[in-house]
Amino acid sequence: MAINGVIVATILLSCLTATCYGITFSSLQRSLEVEASVKADQVLKAGEAKITVSWKVNATYSAGTESSYKTVKVQLCYAPISQKDRGWRKTVDILKKDKTCQHTIVERPYSASNNTVTYTVKRDVPTATYFIRAYVFNAAGEEVGYGQTTNAGKSTNLFSIEGVTGRHVSLDIAAACFSAFSVISLFGFFFMEKRKAKASN
Amino acid sequence: MAGIEGSPGSSMHGVTGREPVHAFSVASPIVPTDTTAKFDLPVDSEHKAKKFKLFSLANPHMRTFHLSWISFFTCFVSTFAAAPLVPIIRDNLNLTKSDIGNAGVASVSGSIFSRLVMGAVCDLLGPRYGCAFLVMLSAPTVFCMSLVSSAGGYVAVRFMIGFSLATFVSCQYWMSTMFNSKIIGTVNGTAAGWGNMGGGATQLIMPLLYDIIKKTGSTPFTAWRIAFFIPGWLHIIMGILVMTLGQDLPDGNLSALQKKGEVAKDQFGRVLWYAVTNYRTWIFVLLYGYSMGVELSTDNVIAEYFYDRFDLKLHLAGIIAATFGMANLLARPFGGFASDYSARYFGMRGRLWTLWILQTLGGVFCLLLGRADSLPLAVAFMIIFSIGAQAACGATFGVIPFVSRRSLGVISGLAGAGGNFGSGLTQLLFFSTSKYTTEMGLEYMGIMIICCTLPVMLVHFPQWGSMFLPPSKKVSEEHYYTAEYTEEEVQKGMHHNSLKFAENSRSERGNRIASAPTPPNATPNYV
Repeated sequence: MAINGVIVATILLSCLTATCYGITFSSLQRSLEVEASVKADQVLKAGEAKITVSWKVNATYSAGTESSYKTVKVQLCYAPISQKDRGWRKTVDILKKDKTCQHTIVERPYSASNNTVTYTVKRDVPTATYFIRAYVFNAAGEEVGYGQTTNAGKSTNLFSIEGVTGRHVSLDIAAACFSAFSVISLFGFFFMEKRKAKASN
Repeated sequence: MAGIEGSPGSSMHGVTGREPVHAFSVASPIVPTDTTAKFDLPVDSEHKAKKFKLFSLANPHMRTFHLSWISFFTCFVSTFAAAPLVPIIRDNLNLTKSDIGNAGVASVSGSIFSRLVMGAVCDLLGPRYGCAFLVMLSAPTVFCMSLVSSAGGYVAVRFMIGFSLATFVSCQYWMSTMFNSKIIGTVNGTAAGWGNMGGGATQLIMPLLYDIIKKTGSTPFTAWRIAFFIPGWLHIIMGILVMTLGQDLPDGNLSALQKKGEVAKDQFGRVLWYAVTNYRTWIFVLLYGYSMGVELSTDNVIAEYFYDRFDLKLHLAGIIAATFGMANLLARPFGGFASDYSARYFGMRGRLWTLWILQTLGGVFCLLLGRADSLPLAVAFMIIFSIGAQAACGATFGVIPFVSRRSLGVISGLAGAGGNFGSGLTQLLFFSTSKYTTEMGLEYMGIMIICCTLPVMLVHFPQWGSMFLPPSKKVSEEHYYTAEYTEEEVQKGMHHNSLKFAENSRSERGNRIASAPTPPNATPNYV
């Protein structure tokens, strides 16, 4: 009896610590199966390409817990190669601090059917290699399960997105014009003053 | 005390901001007023202003002051304009941490060379055109930022924009043609501090511009490019204002400046020799590298640090980062004041202790900033760090004028270059690799500041002592400053200005000044 009490207490304490420090990714079950219309190693253009993502519950993992799923959030996540040397995209186990997934495809209330979305890649998505992950949340807003298009090591089924450059011809022309104006007005002024000084002498 | 017009390093006079007489105006008996001149401010015989009236735009003196410091401020804004926008730029250009770090190093390295060249340019073209040329020729480099599409381009453009920091030299030079040497210290010190504020102001301005431009409908990756047009326009505007409203001399005549017969009364070679062989020069080069240098490094990394570590919005990270650089408004003058105040009671030993305390304090709080886990603590530590580092900059130039009289200009210039070099080195070591996170980088930078400030304990003035050693009774100020001239040069009487300075510098003895007798072997004819 005492041991039961200790076990219960330990479980409660670890749950408490987990919530104090935040839910960790490693504690989540891979309870969703996520599929996307993107093939491995495909290159998509930001602002133009469309991705269709669909997800369904994975029967083997999530027996009975589906009733607690209230919200689902599908995100574009950086593959390890795009995280290398870039600490601002680091994968951290504590989900609150994790920066792997920074672009949301869709976030909506969970429903048992019609789990699909067609997403046009936004123009602020940078050039990088990605995979897609979906989290399900309970009523308290905590992650309770996930699914992703790649394997546990994040090495398969990755695709690339080519971001917009942000450059425009009009910007290039404006930059050239102002630069020319700056240089010409400088030398113009300089020689004009020199000539005036010579004339007055 | 003004030094000879055109002598090596004379363009650096007043750079220190801490020359022995430090005031906002100099009264008539000390420097006679030229009553025939019709200027808004009282002027001396060269028509240089004797009074520093801050809120006036009177032509030509105060107008020059404002044109000058605002040009310098503008160049600081554009040199550090990329820093608060790095979270957006790094995604657009697919930068790695080393790209970002290298760009930071590049942004401060260019000016090491451009500052050396700028003195010669000012001698050749005059400070007005020196300033205008630099500001207007660096405008295209700022516009080039909006064309950048790769890491290499980013580093190259930041390097080129960094050249514009040489406006520091034109700023100081120009004001030494307009203000009497007895107040040039305050004038130049104020201008230097206010120019440096640009590094803080930019952290506020750029995210704000970015937000506004995004609100008008631009995508993020275009908005930051458009934002760079504003610093570019500022360059053009300041360049035009300098050319149209500015003038080289109080009387407006550039050629007179060049015709001055008294060119180079001293030899550059000897001046350089005495600067380079004085060990104190190198200690202060190192020290300035870890006060001004860390200030520049922090300007480059702090906004990104707050954005990433504490998950702040870009403009909030910018506001916090701005308080770091804006502290220059008061912190740098405070350092100089603290140095002067301690010198009143403890002389040069007080100045050295003040410098050590301020700079070490800065280092300790830099270390704590890296360790701080919560936002309020981090901000508090950052503010104390900024005050420590910037006050140390002011305090450094409280001591430098006394290291040498003959080579003051060169030593000031070397210290200035040391600041930029220290910045580049620190960014290279701690902020360019993924080996250290930015918080670790800040911790190590703090430790390095503390270590690199220790050499100030080795600075010993025989006539005044050092931090731990008392002065030697046999050496006087005259001995120290005359030692910079060879026997021949003393025979020629080249050391007279130094003797005058030596007498004035007796205040660095501290409390004992009242009883200091004139040494018997000092030449009396400098009176």
